[in-house]
Amino acid sequence: MSNDILFLAEFSAGKPARSAIELATGAADLAAQSGGSAVALAYGSGAASGGAALGAHGAARAVVLGDEDRPAITYAPAAVAAARDAGLAVLAPATPNGRDLAAALVGSLDLPAFGPVRAARVVDGVLESEQATLQGSVITTARPADGAPTPSVVLVLANTFTPAEGGSGTAEVAQAPDAGESALSRATVAESHEADAKVVNLEEATVIVAGGRGVGGEEGFAPLRELAEALGGAVGASRAAADAGWIPYQLQIGQTGKVVKPSLYVGAGISGAIQHRVGMQTAEHVIAINRDPDAPIGEFADLFVVGDLFEIVPALTEEIRRRKATSGG
Amino acid sequence: MKIVVCIKQVPATGADKRYTADLRLDRTGVEAIINPLDEYAIEQALRLADAGTADSVTYLCMGPDQASEALRRALAMGGDDAVLITDAALAGADEWTTAKVLAAALDKLAPDVALMGMASDDARGSLVPGAVAAMRDVPLLSYGSELALADGEARVRRLSATGFDWIAAPLPVVATVTDQVGEPRYASLKGIMAAKRKPLETWSLGDLELSADDLHGAALTTVTDTRAPEEKPPTERIENVPAPEAAAKIADWLEQRKLI
Repeated sequence: MSNDILFLAEFSAGKPARSAIELATGAADLAAQSGGSAVALAYGSGAASGGAALGAHGAARAVVLGDEDRPAITYAPAAVAAARDAGLAVLAPATPNGRDLAAALVGSLDLPAFGPVRAARVVDGVLESEQATLQGSVITTARPADGAPTPSVVLVLANTFTPAEGGSGTAEVAQAPDAGESALSRATVAESHEADAKVVNLEEATVIVAGGRGVGGEEGFAPLRELAEALGGAVGASRAAADAGWIPYQLQIGQTGKVVKPSLYVGAGISGAIQHRVGMQTAEHVIAINRDPDAPIGEFADLFVVGDLFEIVPALTEEIRRRKATSGG
Repeated sequence: MKIVVCIKQVPATGADKRYTADLRLDRTGVEAIINPLDEYAIEQALRLADAGTADSVTYLCMGPDQASEALRRALAMGGDDAVLITDAALAGADEWTTAKVLAAALDKLAPDVALMGMASDDARGSLVPGAVAAMRDVPLLSYGSELALADGEARVRRLSATGFDWIAAPLPVVATVTDQVGEPRYASLKGIMAAKRKPLETWSLGDLELSADDLHGAALTTVTDTRAPEEKPPTERIENVPAPEAAAKIADWLEQRKLI
């Protein structure tokens, strides 16, 4: 066993996901505490050529599990071979693909599972993590039981680690050990359907302007898009707005949609039901705009603006544009 | 075609929850329900049974004795029979242990599809289905907004980055579904009466040929501390002001925090 910190690094369309860059930074930070190295387990289209560049974000090595566009779960046998007896922890993004692979590691290698975590550290050579449970009402600290196998598998929410930029390191690239096949590699894409509109990956946005039932319709999202643009962010939605067909499901935030952790979340016309709250409650700053002075979101927002979103959102967009213009930014 | 739906009993959403002195979830006096997201797995299984695709639907649950209530409620929605795995040695089980126990029970039940909800309300790792698939060495089809079965193959419709895919794998599989499969049906009075007569077996670890030693006690993880979240400063409110003034105040707030 080594003290290395491994992390899943997903690539698609030739580029690393933002999660890969964040986890590279997080793994490097934890590896500095454990006295090991940060090691990427890189998979997906672009992993072979892009693995080395993860060095700029803290990875010392990159093990390439495969470089094809296929379901993430099919990389499980290679991930299992690479993680066997390797290091203290494997960090995985708390996304559907990340969870699929993390679960395969837990089940194949009988490993302890943690998360999604809000913080992690190495204490006395053991990975200790903090997790918000029971809908955020309790923070628990957990560690592997005595004698538990390593590595620990740790799910990490987006934006938990701030990517280190401007580095110039190069990760040493290696091929994954020969893994063969398992039943998990038998999943295939039988059909693929592209949406008409291009959708952003909400998990990667640092500013999100989200709309709910109060937005009233597809066209009601237009002012939200303008505000998001002025703030350099993306538009999201509650389940009610996605169910109504006003916005694609890829942009749904909540228990059954994306779990996001932006530095700024603005919720407009969103009441703040518990199912939505668990998808955004770790945002650093929360602004709510709602006509109902008793909306539940008012209980946990940092700033609650009571009023008509169709008046306030455009006014705010204009104000931000004006200030940006006068400050020269 | 045989489907086993794995369900979990959880404290009711919004119920007052706390931990016991030994850092486990205190279940005394808290209303318990079927994990809401598991109801979608039940609904998906029953739709396949209604369509004649599934011949039988069995429910499987690991939990304390009172979790049999969750199984009865599921049987009231439909389906054929149920198995409760309960054992004192399972108190404090973590995701790995839960997966280990469910995998052993599924080996015994040998379904074509082991179907689960996409997440549980009280712990949000969502790792149990994939771990069960890995332990049983069967394919995993996760996060389906629909499950289809035909010609020895299972398919799930799953959101992709830009649209959706149908992901396929040969049976048997472990599959998970989202809340997009359709609203779960209510139990009818007739269903509730019928559920009382449906078979419900109780298995112990011994019935699964597992011991506490096989399960590393009951967990590979240990909770060392619980605490309340950091106190947030009280919510600041802006109200009863015209929109331009509210906008200026919000912009000031954002500037103070260097967000613009």
